Amino acid sequence: MTLSVRLAGTAALGVLATVPVAAQRAAPTTWAITGARLVPVSGPPIASGTLVVREGRIAALGAGVRAPADARTIDGTGLTIYPGLIDAAGTLGQRSATGGGGGGGGGAAVAAPATGTATRPAGLRPETDVLDALVTDGFDGPHGAGITAALTAPTGGLFQGRSAVIALRSDETAKMVVRTPVALHVAFQGVRGAFPGSLLGVFAEFRQQLLDAKRYGAMQAAAAANPRGTARPALDASLEALQPVLAGTMPVAFNASSEREIHRALDLAAEFKLRAMIVGGQEAWKVADRLRTMNVPVIQSLNFPKKPTNVAADADPEPVRVLRTRVESPAGPAKLAAAGVRMAFASGGASWTDHLGNLRATVKAGLAAEAALRAHTLGAAELLGVADRLGSLEVGKVANLTVVRGDLFSDSAKVTHVFVDGTPRTLDTARPAPAGGRGAGAARAASLTGTWTVTVALEGKEYAITLQLTQVESKLTGTMQGALGTAEITQGELTGEGEFRFTAPVTVREGTEEGVFVGVLTGNAVRGGLSIVGHALGRFSGTRPGPAGDAPRGAGRTRPSTMP
Amino acid sequence: MRLPMLAAALVAAAPVAAQAPTTLIKNATVLTVSRGTLANTDVLLRGGKIAAIGQNLAAPAGATTIDATGKYVMPGIIDPHSHLMSDAINEGSLSVTSMVRIADVLNPTDRGIYRAAAGGVTTINILHGSANTIGGQNATVKLKPGRTVQEMLVPGAPPGIKFALGENVTRKNSSTVIVQGQSPAPRRYPTSRMGQAEVLRDAFTRAKAYRAEWTDYRARTARGEKGLVPPRTDLELEPLVEVLEGRRLVHAHSYRADEMLMLLNLADEFGFKIQTLQHGLEGYKIASEIAKHGAGLSSFADSWSYKIEAYDAIPHNVAILLRKGVNATINSDSDERIRRLNIDAARLVRYGDLTEEEALRIITLNGAIQLGIEQRTGSLDIGKDADLAIWTAHPLSVYARVETTFADGEVTFDRARDLAAREALAAERKALEAKEGSR
Amino acid sequence: MSRITLATLGGLLLATAPAAAQLGSYNPRAGARETLVIRNAMIHPVTGPVIARGSLVVSDGRITAIGATVTEPTGARVIDANGLHVWPGMMDGATRMGLSEIPQGANATVDASEVGDYTANAQAINGLNPHSAHIGVTRMAGITHVVSAPTGGTISGSAALVHLGGDTPPEMSVVRNAAMVITLPRRGFGGRGGFGGFGGQAPGSTQDADRARERQLDSLRAVLADARAYAAAHAAAKADPSLPRPAEDLVLAALGPAVAGTMPVLFNADRAGDIREAITFAEAEKLKPIIIGGADAWQVASLLKEKDVPVVLTGIMGLPSREDDPYDVNFSAPSVLAKAGVRFAISAGDDGAEVRNLPQVAGMAAAFGLAKEDALKAVTLWPAQIFGVADRLGSLEVGKMANVVVTDGDILEARTRPVHLIIDGRVVPLGSKHEALYEMFKDRP
Repeated sequence: MTLSVRLAGTAALGVLATVPVAAQRAAPTTWAITGARLVPVSGPPIASGTLVVREGRIAALGAGVRAPADARTIDGTGLTIYPGLIDAAGTLGQRSATGGGGGGGGGAAVAAPATGTATRPAGLRPETDVLDALVTDGFDGPHGAGITAALTAPTGGLFQGRSAVIALRSDETAKMVVRTPVALHVAFQGVRGAFPGSLLGVFAEFRQQLLDAKRYGAMQAAAAANPRGTARPALDASLEALQPVLAGTMPVAFNASSEREIHRALDLAAEFKLRAMIVGGQEAWKVADRLRTMNVPVIQSLNFPKKPTNVAADADPEPVRVLRTRVESPAGPAKLAAAGVRMAFASGGASWTDHLGNLRATVKAGLAAEAALRAHTLGAAELLGVADRLGSLEVGKVANLTVVRGDLFSDSAKVTHVFVDGTPRTLDTARPAPAGGRGAGAARAASLTGTWTVTVALEGKEYAITLQLTQVESKLTGTMQGALGTAEITQGELTGEGEFRFTAPVTVREGTEEGVFVGVLTGNAVRGGLSIVGHALGRFSGTRPGPAGDAPRGAGRTRPSTMP
Repeated sequence: MRLPMLAAALVAAAPVAAQAPTTLIKNATVLTVSRGTLANTDVLLRGGKIAAIGQNLAAPAGATTIDATGKYVMPGIIDPHSHLMSDAINEGSLSVTSMVRIADVLNPTDRGIYRAAAGGVTTINILHGSANTIGGQNATVKLKPGRTVQEMLVPGAPPGIKFALGENVTRKNSSTVIVQGQSPAPRRYPTSRMGQAEVLRDAFTRAKAYRAEWTDYRARTARGEKGLVPPRTDLELEPLVEVLEGRRLVHAHSYRADEMLMLLNLADEFGFKIQTLQHGLEGYKIASEIAKHGAGLSSFADSWSYKIEAYDAIPHNVAILLRKGVNATINSDSDERIRRLNIDAARLVRYGDLTEEEALRIITLNGAIQLGIEQRTGSLDIGKDADLAIWTAHPLSVYARVETTFADGEVTFDRARDLAAREALAAERKALEAKEGSR
Repeated sequence: MSRITLATLGGLLLATAPAAAQLGSYNPRAGARETLVIRNAMIHPVTGPVIARGSLVVSDGRITAIGATVTEPTGARVIDANGLHVWPGMMDGATRMGLSEIPQGANATVDASEVGDYTANAQAINGLNPHSAHIGVTRMAGITHVVSAPTGGTISGSAALVHLGGDTPPEMSVVRNAAMVITLPRRGFGGRGGFGGFGGQAPGSTQDADRARERQLDSLRAVLADARAYAAAHAAAKADPSLPRPAEDLVLAALGPAVAGTMPVLFNADRAGDIREAITFAEAEKLKPIIIGGADAWQVASLLKEKDVPVVLTGIMGLPSREDDPYDVNFSAPSVLAKAGVRFAISAGDDGAEVRNLPQVAGMAAAFGLAKEDALKAVTLWPAQIFGVADRLGSLEVGKMANVVVTDGDILEARTRPVHLIIDGRVVPLGSKHEALYEMFKDRP
């Protein structure tokens, strides 16, 4: 089932790849957009002017600029030109097999035999380099949302690897790379079948590897200082890769979304004096003071939680806490800005068709439009170390442009063109935008997001529970309510092929235990097993409503409201 | 060798406590636990501490006064075995996971904190699970809803570590999920109580060698040798060295008398102490041996028969242990049962004839001793932390209910406030739904 | 409170302590029925006012006299209960007593369910181990009779109402087949078992699950209709020997009293929707329902009152099942039901080992709004009424079965000790596996 979905996705990628940003011909590369509104970000807007692109760079811009004679001209009347939007964190431009965003992959690394110089299982290798996973397709969706460049990072496990800033061009992977390596990406996620298998082990492994790296550095230095008198220390690619992190020359990008995850990341950063960034940051605004004090920037996900649709009548009502988070989240960036926290925006795995709406939501919730734009352009470029090349409309900078009919922050605005490295792509607004999220769009596997009514059978008894789950790329969060107690689920992840796992404290009769739920998703049904230390295997099975209108016989016969 | 990072985690609570409100509780029956019962007595809470206990105390300026006539004040309940607030409980991938720390994964927003506070609980020992022979490092926490983890960790509480023996470790009852042709996890050593003993022996043998390696390094450095690279800092063995040196308390999950005895003997052999046997349901069969080693024991009040190794459990366990001089407590190990430890304690008045003060002590002061925090909490004594609860009746009565709970002088539960908050919550839900609907 | 320690009973305990630990051999045997007078006690009849100082006479298994002054039969064994309290033995209406000894890791000690969806002919009385150590421990808390019910499937079988003072199931039996156990497929939670998912047909969505549930309900309705037809055919054949003799069917025969409305049906239901469904179903099928579980019963109190459907509450000590529930939502549920006029009983909600905590569960309800007298009734008279045995059990009245507990205090208090225990008119020595092990080890040097 899942396999066939993935094959379909590959086919779709192939089709899209036949519409490249840059065709392999010797067509003229000088362009001029005339009579457009220009928003340079680094300077004041220009109500009407011309912008000239030559050999991939911005050659000129301004009210008085005229289109060169050799330029191909676009009539910019009614258009606004922005610096190309930057998706400040994600998995764009990677094979789906390694990138959560590419469609269904990602999640915890599965411990596999080490090859080459690797001595640790996948997911514990800071030396992992995203460059090894780059592909040139999957840019339809992001282009439609005005994205021209992105930070792309490996996923899976704890030490996920090193990221790069790439231009979203579809010719050669080597030409995509703008800057590498940018950061070491870390997530509080274990590996499968090895230590660390849980959130607990994750912190211990992080500390141990950094301590080992310090010692490794000292041993290497000692050997270098006294090559004749010292035994040659064995090469350790992981510890080698951690040296710039320890030296503070490479930032550590922590995937952290909730308040407590962010505190945990900041605790580690303080402990090891790391240059930290927070990626995700749904509740970063709650930690704004500490972020500012520690001068830690936030790559804020714009994938704000959405109201669940189509909830089974018998499900437990969602907690006020969840409702509160949903209402508060879009206002987070405004609060971060007010607190003086540096910030860049990332799409965060939301559907590309929702992306600009999510961006606008931050403004509707109080963020100044200029600040929102900056966080998606120059601010992002600064955080990613590419502000000398990207992020603003300035002569000499890379000609990454996002061209919009109307104002980016009005709901009716449409992206009409994107320029990537000076090559334009006209977006066919007549064709429906790619549906279903990131990467190749339609190929995306079904999501676990939703409200599930689940029955758990454990040692001869059955328990009715409600799971409200949110899947963002390969990460799974949510709430459990019902006969096993109430809790937030933790350590939730998609592990590929529709398999998921999470843990939740379950209280059965008088004891509270850690329940590990492992299951598979099939359409609108889940099923799987529940492991508890010292107990026989439990089983669970649940559903969420299918498409509306698929009402069962007898539904609505007697169904008064659930509260008196 | 002692790592500096632990210290950072343990410093924050004091300033918060210092801001705690001043409260005068008037005319209560005060169950001090340490010095008997005081009738018609006032208790003054100031700066997070118990500032005064006596009759006709004057309310300082700015103090909130609570008339507790007809009510009872007892020390905050201490639960020596809980998994509240834990985003992860077991790191079961290895048989020795002494490197993992519960403090890393605490969730200060767990709803269970409040529900436990509503049962008069103020302090808990959050332990790693029982998946493996040597589990992770504990966290000693004051339950304060709305506070951060840093503000809840008990300053100065001695660090501890979880050990586990018996069925959970040998996995004789456990099964794990196998999905879609994934091969089952390989069997993990140990699968018997024999192997558990060897895991412990191996771990402490390695810890001793590790300590020797560092001792040697320091000696050479002290002799003036230059250019030495220090030995590896091993986060697995560091805590075990601390155990060997008496700087970390061992809390050992165990049921059967023979496995407890094995552990005590092994600890004697390696020269360390077991601070508490957790559950220890057959402790009554070897009470003298436990007393001789100096271990404490934290039992369930009366749970039994839920698995083989619990079939000989008896509710008189604690009584026998106390009579033999073992510092015994009862614990919940449960987000549910933690809410009514007073009733569990009351049962032991009947099973084994504990006095009422003894019964109260096994959920208060004795627990403080087991966690090494008796100098700051566990009884109503001037100068101790203001951890206490006001009850509507004698807390060993089934008819008693908590009116108000204080931890470090802060109100962590108040029934009147709770009732008022119910309407506020409903109103908030309405407002949020309206706001969301209007978007 | 007087402090009578168990040590005074030590001789008795030692005499009954077995030589070696072995499943099910610890419960001291009850003596023979005898004529007893309990004197000078504070008597709590439950159905009448407390008698501050009075006597109670037991003869041939029954209570024959009760009052401030009674005529004492000659030759009776006299128990001076000065300073003590006398109570009717308590009852838990939702246990698996004797059917499940060690649920984890000792499957061979569990006899609580049968294979199949409609195992109406499975009878708890035939799986009940009268020597379960749980029994001795339970009655030491003053619980003298329980309903022990099977589980599993849609129709699990029949529950037995037994007292805890006999050596054999027939001796213990009060009502051999006291109620039929039915668990309707859950609303919205994937149908009964929901385990279409593993091995069987997995529902593809909630609508799918609801359809599967409807099919299961239809199938159950068909079984009940068959049972009615079966009973009618047999009755007809009996009345008219010329009719052909109908075939025998053990399952349909077992359902006869339930579909006739003479035997109550225990519906396991906790969620509001499931409780409503059980009431609707029972009404349509003309069954006599008792809700077992009833966690959300407080939400549907008016319907329960309107339809006069009683509830045995098993989840009073359970954690709130919704994050925003008040902390005491389950503690205070009995008080809500009492105010609404719903008939209910309180159960410890345990299979066997912890049933002895029943009085403290009732006490917790009293701490959260239930009147103390009602808390006592909820574990004595009310369960007897709900199970139709109030003519025999549930209070201290002349003619009732002599299940009598003498304590040194309030029977719901955890600190209270039993002093004398009489079940079915027989004196039960105070002792259990726990007391035996206590005696065995308390003086070990």
